Formats: sequence, structure tokens, C-alpha cells
Amino acid sequence: MRDHTAFRQRRIRTSDYACQYMAVDSFVHRLGAGAKLLIGALLGAAAVLAHEPWSLGVVLALNAGYYFGARLTLSGLWRDTRYLLVQSVIIMGLYAARYGVPAGLWPGLQIALQIGLFFVPGVVFLRTTQASQMMRGLGKVLPYRLSFLVFTSFRFVPLFAREIRQIAMAQRLRGARLSGVDLLNPGNWRDMFHCLMIPLLVRALKTSDEVALSAEGRGFGIRPERTYFDALLAQKALPDGDRDDDAPSGSIGPQASVCGSTDRSAGSKASGRGVARRMTSREDP
Amino acid sequence: MTRDIRFLGRRFTLREALLLGFCATFIVLTRAALRLHFSLPGHSMFFLTFFLLMARGCVPKIGAATLVGVISGLVCMLLGMAKLGPLIVANFILPAMVVDLAGFAYPRMVRSYIACLLVGVIASATKGVTGILLDYLMGMDPDVVVRHVFIATIASAIFGALGAFMVPPVIRRLQANDLIPSSER
Repeated sequence: MRDHTAFRQRRIRTSDYACQYMAVDSFVHRLGAGAKLLIGALLGAAAVLAHEPWSLGVVLALNAGYYFGARLTLSGLWRDTRYLLVQSVIIMGLYAARYGVPAGLWPGLQIALQIGLFFVPGVVFLRTTQASQMMRGLGKVLPYRLSFLVFTSFRFVPLFAREIRQIAMAQRLRGARLSGVDLLNPGNWRDMFHCLMIPLLVRALKTSDEVALSAEGRGFGIRPERTYFDALLAQKALPDGDRDDDAPSGSIGPQASVCGSTDRSAGSKASGRGVARRMTSREDP
Repeated sequence: MTRDIRFLGRRFTLREALLLGFCATFIVLTRAALRLHFSLPGHSMFFLTFFLLMARGCVPKIGAATLVGVISGLVCMLLGMAKLGPLIVANFILPAMVVDLAGFAYPRMVRSYIACLLVGVIASATKGVTGILLDYLMGMDPDVVVRHVFIATIASAIFGALGAFMVPPVIRRLQANDLIPSSER
């Protein structure tokens, strides 16, 4: 049982790819996205300004404290920053070529280290911030129509990934050269564009028609501010006889529906006036 | 009676904006797929230029490619695919702006192989701009900056040109079937 728990914890703390969100509890995880961005900006600025060995040491220590304070692992750090090694080798090589081997090594190493330290806070942000938390933050900053597009694009990633797999499979059955090995040969790229990309774009055209129709049907864009369906408001707005206390969350009684606003006070004013039976905007798809 | 829902300064209809959003989804998907299988520098420019030019072809309006760049940058950030942090957005927006400017200067660009090739190279080369900015910020020697950016940009430009070269036949085929508009605005 203990082995099983240890295995599960180990598994939770490993990642499949660089900068993947790591679900552990730490004080950095509990910080808000805005606070993490602020810390990241400060550490990034410190990395840019640090030119002396002692100041670089201080920034390095701060970044290490921030990274490991988020309970991220050494293997995770390697996964997150290994791509910077290639860059570091190139920079040090260029400095060595310019100033000679002993003289060019320290400036090259210093710049490479600065660049690495510049990116570490961003890595911590991605490792400790859930996509939903980022979405909420973005929703506050972006205009709601743009954030609708961003979230729709985000939500359709799995659907189109499945579409690509299905189209590729069907085309391969018809003889298209679309397997991984085939695509290593640039001569087969024509098949990829004609047999995979064109059906995919046609599918995107059709899906955009359907989603636009669906969003319009739900009243998207009727009001200048973002609106959403609020079951609680609906319950309050209905006359006592029409209330359905057993109704599941998200469903309301017949004929009545309520739209809320991102502005809470506006929503409560609306419900106070009993403005309930009207055309609604439900939550954006 | 339904009111026509317009996006971003009444420029795009809801359908067009969603189609551009899906182009951004394709950029993210192909970027993720390539990242799993290859580790070649600049390879992500292949599909980035392809879909930016396709977006311009499917929605022939100024700002279409830039919108795709903004959305794909933000979605990449949401999915944790942005090793450069917020700079990733600049990496997507700059090539997109080049595509939009080229579309403004030569509206029939997406049907021409030479124009697409040229735009693909220039758009991919803009990746070097963020590199230059970062290198200067770090106080790197100007001579080394030039060489570093040259090495980083050349691979991107090659992949970008290859991706852009695939656009005209796809656009022509979609236009021939009346799936996308053939008149440029």
C-alpha cells in the first residue's frame, strides 16, 4: 500500500513534456497568476541587470529558491531548460571565436546564464498555474469577444486532434503516404497537404459555420458586455409557485430564463426589478 | 431578425472569427505534434507560415493573420508550450503582421508561389527580432548578436519558405470549389 502511494506521488511529480503543469501543493502554487507574473517580471529584470559574478550568484540563488520552493524537481528543471544548453553552447562558441578561448569564455557563460535566468520565472509560472486559472486571468484582461475566440480555439484542440487522426487514418487506407516514416521524405509532403490539410480545412469551415450558428442561437454578442446563465438568479427571479427547488444546477423552470452580467451589481439590479422573463444569453459555448 | 455579430472593430463576422480561431488551433496542434517527434531548430515555422497564409486566403481581410497570431500565441501559453514566456506572443504576432502587410500590398499574394515564398522567408525571419531584443537586453556584444541571430534565423527562414510554398495549390483548390472567397478585399 505504501509502495503504491509512493509510486503515485512519484508519478504525479514527473512530467511528460517541458513546462507541464505540476499538481503539487506549494506556496507558489497558491499564489495568484498576477502575483506570479509580477515576481517573474522582477526576477527577469534582475537577470537583465546582473552583470557581476556576485549579482548573478544572487539572482541564481533567488531563481533556485523560487523554482524549488514550488516543489518542482531537478529532473523537471533539466527537462525545462535543456533546450537552453544548445543556445548556451552557440553563444559561448561565438564569444570564443570573437575573443579567443580563455578571454571569451566568461562573457559567453555570463550571457548564457543571464538568458537562462530570464526564462526560469516563466517556466515556474507555467509549471504552477493551471490553464483554468490562466483563462480566468485572461478573461479579465482581454475584451470578451477576443477571450471567447481564445477559449473556443483552446476547447477545440482535442476535437481537431481527433479529426486529424481520423482523416489521416482514412486517407492512409486509400493509399496516401501519411505515416511518420513516409513524411520524413519531403517528396511525400504533397500528400500531406492534399490528403490531410484540405479535408481538415473543409472540416474547419463546416465547424465554424456550426459553432457560429450555435453561438448566435444562444444570444452571443447581443449585449456589449459578456453575459452568462445564472441558475441562482433564475431561482430568485421566478415567482414562488414556479420555483423548482429540486431542479438541478443549470436548469430553470418553464418559460423563464435569466441572464447575468459580468458586472455583478448590474445582475443583482436586474433581478431586483424582476426583469426575468426576457431573451437570454446563456453561458458561451 | 438576427443582428450580424461583428468582431474586432466590426471587421470580421462571427463565422470568420471562428475560422481564424481554428487556424490558430491547427498551428498549436501541429506545433505540439512536431515538438514530440523532431528537435530541429525553426521547424515550427513550417506550419506557422502555412496556416497564417491560409488564414489570409480564407478570410481575405486586413488583420486576419494577426488575429490568428494573437490567438495561437495565447493558446500556446495556456497549454504550457511557451518556453519563452510572454515573448512567445511576439514570436507569433510578428510573422502574422508581415503576412497582413503583404496581403495589404498584394491582395493576390496567396495564389502566387513567388509571393508566398518571399513572404514566408520574411515572416520567418522576424523570429530573429525577439532574439536581437533579448541579446541586446543581456548586454551581448553587437558582433556576436548578429552572428547568433543569423544562425537562429536561417533555419526558421528555410522551414518558413517550405511551409509557404505549399499554400498556393491548397488555396487554388479551395477557391475552385467555392469553399473560400476568391475576391480580395
